[in-house]
Amino acid sequence: MSNFILRKAEPKDVSDILRLIKELAKFEEMEEQVVLTEKELLEDGFGDHPFYHCVVAEVPQEKQSSDGYTVIGFAMYYFTYDPWIGKLLYLEDFYVMEQFRGYGIGSDILKLLSETAVKTRCSSMHFIVAEWNKTSIEFYKRRGASDLSDEEGWRLYAIEKEDLLKISAKKR
Amino acid sequence: MDRFKLRKAEPQDVPDILRLIKELAKYEEMEDQVILTEKDLLEDGFGDHPFYHCVVAEVPSEQQNSNNNGSVVIGFAMYYFTYDPWIGKLLYLEDFFVMKEYRGFGIGSEILKLLSLVSNTAVKTRCSSMHFIVAEGNQASIEFYKRRGAADLSLEEGWRLFKIDKSSLLKMSSGPEE
Repeated sequence: MSNFILRKAEPKDVSDILRLIKELAKFEEMEEQVVLTEKELLEDGFGDHPFYHCVVAEVPQEKQSSDGYTVIGFAMYYFTYDPWIGKLLYLEDFYVMEQFRGYGIGSDILKLLSETAVKTRCSSMHFIVAEWNKTSIEFYKRRGASDLSDEEGWRLYAIEKEDLLKISAKKR
Repeated sequence: MDRFKLRKAEPQDVPDILRLIKELAKYEEMEDQVILTEKDLLEDGFGDHPFYHCVVAEVPSEQQNSNNNGSVVIGFAMYYFTYDPWIGKLLYLEDFFVMKEYRGFGIGSEILKLLSLVSNTAVKTRCSSMHFIVAEGNQASIEFYKRRGAADLSLEEGWRLFKIDKSSLLKMSSGPEE
């Protein structure tokens, strides 16, 4: 499987991106939680102000997946900001279809993202991993990743829309 | 302390933003880790493509070290927009600090209220949720956020934050083909 290319996603890739987002969600047993639509992905990623960037992995027609797809992997990322050091590259989603694993496609995607981070003068790449996802944790640790939740005690919090609305409506 | 004002940060606020970033870092005993400069903050926040946004809280001041309109910046919040592949745009709260002597007057609550409005109302940036990280030892902040409906996703969903540092990124980008 040396026969694959990595490229920047284009508007036409939006349906493949959504398909792969759903496949990854299925792997995490959360497929029904994907409420994002192709229309939103298009506006949010390919409008005046992109809220995310994607790279996709593509194989030639003759190597297509058993269900007929040629876009067989992707990574979604965006830029965040650390007030101590500046720009960071944040890796949000990263997935290669099961039948295309073990050929170095994931490694190549990560290499491309590392080059992107360095080129755009980012100090570091950040991402979250579920604590039970041992395979992914090992994949990243082999490449120098460190667990900041472990080392520095960081915990991720969320305030959902319902509570944001409550907060915005509260009188002083 | 009714007389405080919240507003979007402007380029001239950059020295105050850096000052408050360092004060917050000092509170976390990490002040020497702040290597960002005013020049970086200016380019990164007020150029063609802002990598962050800031709101600042200011109070009137008779002192000489006030800014042009007779005010002093005493609090700030730094945020930007992130993306959840399942639901879309999120507002990410990166830094949030009010100087010690100005706490207890509701300034922090008002800042959070303003951020909630930003996430809900700006048409382009309508967000599903606000995310942020808090150090597990920071009980005061955890309580502040929990009172406002915050949920600990690290606890509920097992998320851990990882980083790959520049030296490892360089190794990967120039490394041999697998």
